[in-house]
Amino acid sequence: MGALFNATFFDQAVLGITPILLAALAGTLSERVGLFNIALDGQMLVGAFAAVAGSHFTGTLSGGIAAAVLATVAFSALLAFGSAVLRGNDIVIGISLNLLAAGLTSFLLRVLFGVSGTFSDSSMAGLPRLHVPGVAALPVLGRALGEQNALVYLSWLLVLLTAVFLDRTPWGLRLRGIGEQFDAAVTLGTKAVRYRIVVTLVGGALCGLAGLQLSLGSLTLFSENMTAGRGWIAVAAVMLGRARPLAVASACLLFGLSDALGLRLQGEGLPNQITDSAPYVVTLVALVIAGLRQRIDARRVVI
Amino acid sequence: MAYLEMIDIVKRYPGVLANDHVELAVERGEIHAVMGENGAGKSTLMSILYGLQCPDEGYIRLAGSTLFLRSPLDAIAHGIGMVHQSFKLFESLTVWENVVFGREPRRGPFVDAAAARSQVAALAKLHGLPIDPDARVRDLPVGVRQRLEILKALHRDVRVLILDEPTAVLTPGEVATLFEVMRSLAASGCTILLVTHKLNEVMTVTDRITVLRDGRVTERRVTADTNPTDIVRAMTGRNVQLRAARQARTPGPVRLELHDLVVGGPSRRAVDGASFSVRSGEIVGIAGVAGNGQSELVEAIMGLRSAATGRVVINGRDVTRDSIAQRRESGVSYIAEDRVRTASAAQASASHNLVMGFQRRPPLAAGAILRLNEMRRWARALIDQFGIKIASEATRVGTLSGGNLQKVVVARELAHDAGVLIAEQPTRGVDVGAIEFLHAQLLAERARGHAILLVSAELSEILALSDRILVMYEGRIVAELAGTEADEVTLGLYMTGDMSGAA
Amino acid sequence: MNLRRQAATLLPIVTAVLVGFAVCGVIAALVGLSPWVMFTELIKGAVEGPQLFETVARAVPLVGMTLAAGIPLRAGIVNLGADGQLVLGACAAAIVALYLPAPDAVRLVAALAVGAIIGGGYAALAAAGEIVAKVPLLLSTWLLTYPAKGLCGYLVRSPLRDPVTAWPSSKRIAVGARLGHLIPGTPVNQGLLLIAVAAVLIVFIDRRTSVGYELRMRGLNERFARYGGVALSRQTAWLMFASGALAGLVGAIMVVGSQYRFTDGALTAPQYSWSGTLAALLAGGEPIAGIVAAVLFAALQTGGFAMERSVEIPRVLTMVLESVIILFLSMRGAIWRRAS
Repeated sequence: MGALFNATFFDQAVLGITPILLAALAGTLSERVGLFNIALDGQMLVGAFAAVAGSHFTGTLSGGIAAAVLATVAFSALLAFGSAVLRGNDIVIGISLNLLAAGLTSFLLRVLFGVSGTFSDSSMAGLPRLHVPGVAALPVLGRALGEQNALVYLSWLLVLLTAVFLDRTPWGLRLRGIGEQFDAAVTLGTKAVRYRIVVTLVGGALCGLAGLQLSLGSLTLFSENMTAGRGWIAVAAVMLGRARPLAVASACLLFGLSDALGLRLQGEGLPNQITDSAPYVVTLVALVIAGLRQRIDARRVVI
Repeated sequence: MAYLEMIDIVKRYPGVLANDHVELAVERGEIHAVMGENGAGKSTLMSILYGLQCPDEGYIRLAGSTLFLRSPLDAIAHGIGMVHQSFKLFESLTVWENVVFGREPRRGPFVDAAAARSQVAALAKLHGLPIDPDARVRDLPVGVRQRLEILKALHRDVRVLILDEPTAVLTPGEVATLFEVMRSLAASGCTILLVTHKLNEVMTVTDRITVLRDGRVTERRVTADTNPTDIVRAMTGRNVQLRAARQARTPGPVRLELHDLVVGGPSRRAVDGASFSVRSGEIVGIAGVAGNGQSELVEAIMGLRSAATGRVVINGRDVTRDSIAQRRESGVSYIAEDRVRTASAAQASASHNLVMGFQRRPPLAAGAILRLNEMRRWARALIDQFGIKIASEATRVGTLSGGNLQKVVVARELAHDAGVLIAEQPTRGVDVGAIEFLHAQLLAERARGHAILLVSAELSEILALSDRILVMYEGRIVAELAGTEADEVTLGLYMTGDMSGAA
Repeated sequence: MNLRRQAATLLPIVTAVLVGFAVCGVIAALVGLSPWVMFTELIKGAVEGPQLFETVARAVPLVGMTLAAGIPLRAGIVNLGADGQLVLGACAAAIVALYLPAPDAVRLVAALAVGAIIGGGYAALAAAGEIVAKVPLLLSTWLLTYPAKGLCGYLVRSPLRDPVTAWPSSKRIAVGARLGHLIPGTPVNQGLLLIAVAAVLIVFIDRRTSVGYELRMRGLNERFARYGGVALSRQTAWLMFASGALAGLVGAIMVVGSQYRFTDGALTAPQYSWSGTLAALLAGGEPIAGIVAAVLFAALQTGGFAMERSVEIPRVLTMVLESVIILFLSMRGAIWRRAS
């Protein structure tokens, strides 16, 4: 068991955290502006598919990136319209969008690529790993911290930017007000609906990047429902972190580590059906503990 | 031509003509009262002035130019500000964040917090409204929150300030401070519109009055030239009995007891050791400004909130650990303060609303099965008895007026025939005709030998109905008086925590 | 309810279905398929000849899952763990049907009962999380599906594995312990009777009992229900148990009534849980409307299969259709407009 927490473990952990982190940031912004975004999983899936489609059909990485972001933003426009503009029920819209994403991506997988299940193409352009000189030489954590792709580093930067944005800028202040008391913000002259729309679309872009990391971040493939519920873990992270960027990031770290632990235990011979459940069980336990300590953001999570 | 004019305003809602060719004229620097009962149209008129709604006909003129207000933003841009009855504050943000919200001073892409703080401090000092710019709104008492609302308007260079029922949540002392602030604002050129139904306040501080009834202006007077009786007649169209007749009774056995009830944690005790009892055939009124623990007290009695320590005894049974259903079984009914959010279901029919609490026993249920015909008959009987204006028992209650919905709630709670009745703000937002009816119902309950706990922010209601009056201040019962001994002044003093006025 | 109000509630649903078809037609056209062909094959595939029995056979588990989702939905609670409860119930039923030392008929009945109880118990576990630790049911039910599927997947690969087959599957259940065919020569089995009884019970409880009244009032205004004395936590626990039990029963029926074994992945492949949740949302939690929606979706899915077989249009398009319908309805505020 000594080699349990080795370089590969931490590398896997960082890779695993990144999509969840990006999606959780999207969820954080939505939550702060008063919307309950549970369509993170579906948006991520759209992004993952679009990334592969874009990369394959244009033959370039930038094609994949552009496709991921644009397609997910377009998809999130449905959420923005239904939730922010029409004030429909967040939960129902979120559930139907998740299913729509699953159905659409499976449909397009068959129609565009002629396969079902998985499409993989090792010649496709994926996200290349960078090399940060000093950091990469560190023991154990070297690869995890110093040799990741650009998107991973971007995600860390985005956590800080989001925190600063919310606390220190005028738009962040207005977001917080809108989320807390929509009507008050409107009477004070803030174009609250517009803020909500923009936040949802930006969240879409973030989820698109999350999907990009999933499908092009290490292996280059898309398989049906490849998000495997990570979007829901992101929702849990937002709840546990009470929509504060740094706390949410810590929650994501916890899940990333348990995900990697699961993979590691699988390598040690434990059946993969059991180890695959690791992050979900960890999430549940974390939620129970937080709830017992009365630290769950008790939002109305009922239709 | 007056400084502010609302000319020929008409506003229609389905089935109601809220404003019927209303004209308003206010001079610069004047304190002008807009009076009327609930439903008279004053809120509609002011929301038009503030840009929250558009009139169907008519227009607004300010300082000679006609205004087209599509939203509160436009109103604010023209110097019209409004302090609403329910505050529009962000609880988790600080005072300065609330004041500069939407017009933040900037330094690059960031908010210039230092500049914002000093702006707020300077403004507060200038107008005599002491406040701490860094305090979080959720920690502020109600009177200070109102000051914050006024500061917000002042920060936006308000020329016309609308105050909508501002004294509902203030102690008499705080009301006096508010009036001073109003006078000084008016003296510096600000025009103030005071929307209220409180006669004595209007007589004290206003220059002129416009009275609305059923959407029309019925009276325009200079305050100094008129008197309360005339105004009441203009508001209601008749001479209203300001005090209901109450017969003396000897109270019977104790039905409700509280022993050292404490609600809330160590840092914030909403109820701090309350003890009292209510007997058969008496009405005990709890007076106090909203926010001093009355809601928490009542919720703890009912079981909607748990008590930290202390005991609640209903009809001799210690119910402190009991569920809400068990407490109701022990014999307590509750007319809740918030009839829309708590005491009814807007999308359910009148009969479904009237059945709540009766659904598991005869005659409305046989075992676990509902008897639908019985339910309908039951509902119809209650609708007749209480004169509820509704199309049928199958109609959803969400469409009912405030008074009618309150009748549904009261009808149901009284039908339980419980030994103890708790009535919390029973006539808030209800028209005068229904108020008289509801008061008569409460007195009838008293005559039947039930014990009634009345919680109300309306001192006139407390004084009219209570045999004994308790005053709550900061979670404690600070005074107990016989109904006959109390008056508004004494009660007002106790309500501020001032014990020196004990006679 | 008078006729006009009934029509008023139906109109948005009919519009939504039409919009759904229109959108799918557009999607089909965009990728070079013929919308007209798609529709005709879909409808033919649902009701033509023996296909009608397919639709009925599919409607049984779908109605079951719709009712399962609808029970907590009446109170505004979303059970996203129906898949996990279904799989656990199915696995438990398979174990009982295969290994209980008892006569065939007893094994069958026990399998169905155990399936329901296990499914209900698992859902009640999530309810405990909400009641004790305020963990939202929306999240906990979803998260719990993973360990459930994982456990059953593992069981059927090692201890319970049938060495004869290629798939990870349990052994075949003896003929005597299976649910027989209801209509000979068709895939419709006796499970239909069970689900029909469940449906009647649920509709009756919903409309004619105190329990149903309390449930409906809670769905309309939870504070009001609490204020009136309804014991919310207890109600949540029962709702979730009933929901999970029905899901577990459906899983058990699938195992002893059509598949005759427990195969990893085979129970969730038809995606009855998702369609059931969508149908329940479409119906607003109301049981009879839910049954109608479920039958509609069953027709769509059967048609979809046939459509894929005959003209190779991917049947997953029906899932797209279903989601678009719900999405459209929720946008128009016809589903639970949030009180502003």
